[in-house]
Amino acid sequence: MLDTPIVHFDNVVKKFGSFTAVEKADFQIARGEFLAIMGSSGCGKTTTLRMLAGLEDPTEGNILLDGKKINGKPTWERDTPMVWQSLALFPFLTVQENVEFSLKMRKVPKGERRERARKWLDRLGILEFADRNISQLSGGQRQRVALARSLVTEPKILLLDEPLSALDAHLKVRMQSVLSGLQKDLGITFVYVTHSMSEAFSMADRVVIMSRGKIEQIGTPEEIYREPRNRFVAGFLGSSNVFDGRLKSSGNEVWQIETEHSSFNLKAPSEVQKTDGSPVAFAVSSENMSLATIGTPWAGNSIEATVVGGEFAGASATVFLETDQGQELKVQKGHDELKTVDIRAGQKLLVHWLPEHCHVLPGE
Amino acid sequence: MNTRPSLFSLTFSLPLLIWQLAFFLFPLAFLVALSFWTVRNFQMQPDFDTVNWVKIYSRSVFWDAYFRTLLLASASAVLISLTAFPASYAISFKLGENAKRWMIFVLIIPFFTSYLVRVYSLQVFLSDAGILNAFLGYLGLGPYSMLNNSFGTLTGYATLCLPLVILLQVFSLNFVNRDLVEAAHNMRCGRLRTVLEVIIPSAKAGLVIAGLFAFILSFGDFVSPLYLGGGNPPTLSIMITDITKSGQQWPRAAVVALTMIATLLTVAFAAIKFAYREAGK
Repeated sequence: MLDTPIVHFDNVVKKFGSFTAVEKADFQIARGEFLAIMGSSGCGKTTTLRMLAGLEDPTEGNILLDGKKINGKPTWERDTPMVWQSLALFPFLTVQENVEFSLKMRKVPKGERRERARKWLDRLGILEFADRNISQLSGGQRQRVALARSLVTEPKILLLDEPLSALDAHLKVRMQSVLSGLQKDLGITFVYVTHSMSEAFSMADRVVIMSRGKIEQIGTPEEIYREPRNRFVAGFLGSSNVFDGRLKSSGNEVWQIETEHSSFNLKAPSEVQKTDGSPVAFAVSSENMSLATIGTPWAGNSIEATVVGGEFAGASATVFLETDQGQELKVQKGHDELKTVDIRAGQKLLVHWLPEHCHVLPGE
Repeated sequence: MNTRPSLFSLTFSLPLLIWQLAFFLFPLAFLVALSFWTVRNFQMQPDFDTVNWVKIYSRSVFWDAYFRTLLLASASAVLISLTAFPASYAISFKLGENAKRWMIFVLIIPFFTSYLVRVYSLQVFLSDAGILNAFLGYLGLGPYSMLNNSFGTLTGYATLCLPLVILLQVFSLNFVNRDLVEAAHNMRCGRLRTVLEVIIPSAKAGLVIAGLFAFILSFGDFVSPLYLGGGNPPTLSIMITDITKSGQQWPRAAVVALTMIATLLTVAFAAIKFAYREAGK
């Protein structure tokens, strides 16, 4: 039993009328894993989570929980507690009664109910508010009540639908560490839906990136960051420049790519096979690009571009440029490195980067 | 904080204030004064005599009517709220947006015709040889006496209050956060139990106020107890007309009216306090 994944989405499709909310989702979630499902609004991430919780029925395919098919089982027959974005705490009950609710539904005797609820309130540091009304608590405290309420039955899996989105930045970071700490201590599976890359990448063991109902990539945060599979993921991470071209010559060490700008060299990828002449797209992270004055001799890849504008807030600066062919580029650098070049709007500069910083997008 | 009302807010609230003073507070004060007047030779005269209060409050007929009215109005509030709830729940939770709007429209239609007309036409249905008894007789049942008794009165109250109570319940159910319902299901709370444990507590304020409206409208109603309930034994509103008709006893009618107002204020206050009571400290 232990080697079976706790959740298996087997070619799951969800349609609302003619609209396809989730398209052929096919993935597994390992026991004790912290999985984040990430994407912008309307990408199908919440629908995916709701199907797992039993709040929506898949149109096609099967969902297996603990190796057993759970399609068609109503949510009240599943052990898939969920934390809502709105938290969905009951305002007509006290904190303690909220936490006891699911135990009461399971017919746990009153004394035991009380004790278990208090144990969880204590563990989450909100025992002193046990007799309060929900409306008297702060955002962070409510968050903890919602967690206690879902964890009190000691489930094997916890579903979270953007639970931190209503909190301010500081509290968010604090709750992130509470959440990942809890998940590690309890050793249970967390499935966490979010639109925030920082939340997903800082807590999750693996991240699923979705767009328009399709899963674009699944991998560890590092894998996704270093090796985005396609243009969408590279763009979604927000810091990559993508070039399209054709493979001119594929050596063992170096590939030469012909683009509309000029030809670029990149380090031959070990895991991608392409024949000469086939289309290739590659991404260069904006941190790996540098700027120099036109005419500076440079051995790697380079391209001329005009400065459009910049953002100079924070530790690093972001410069936006446009090539003569109209492609937009983004370069992110420390302030010191930018001192040597003139970055006024309209200025022409040389953008350059090393062949090893080019990443071929295998999904394109 | 500056608690002085601004000119802007005064401009809009003054007409209401003047209206309330002229047509509620002043008549109420006059009613209080009137209850101490006396009647000699069918003529009222200003006085300060507690005789009316003593006379009314010492009569068992008054207290019988008082408790009958209280019981009928309470039964009306409870029965109408219970009858209305399944309909309100279905409209709010089970119908699509379009059907919901149609149902709300349909519930407003009864208010197009006068209440008195509706009550008269109910006599045709409820009388011993009426439509309902004819139908029941066809099935080999009855005839049942449905007119000139509490059944008739309560049927009349329902004609008056049911559409309004359903509307008020629907509006309060519409405000129930749907996430709470799903969260309850997610925590193993089945459908019926969710209605009792989550939906009703969430909509409590609106549901109590809907019931309160049924109570207030029924408590003061004159038409149904007279034309469908038969008027004998009387309710308080029938008693008021009887008293005024017999020997110009307006001061004694004022005592009954003031007792009714005090009762309504007490019930309304208690109901609203209950409606907005929160869990926990």
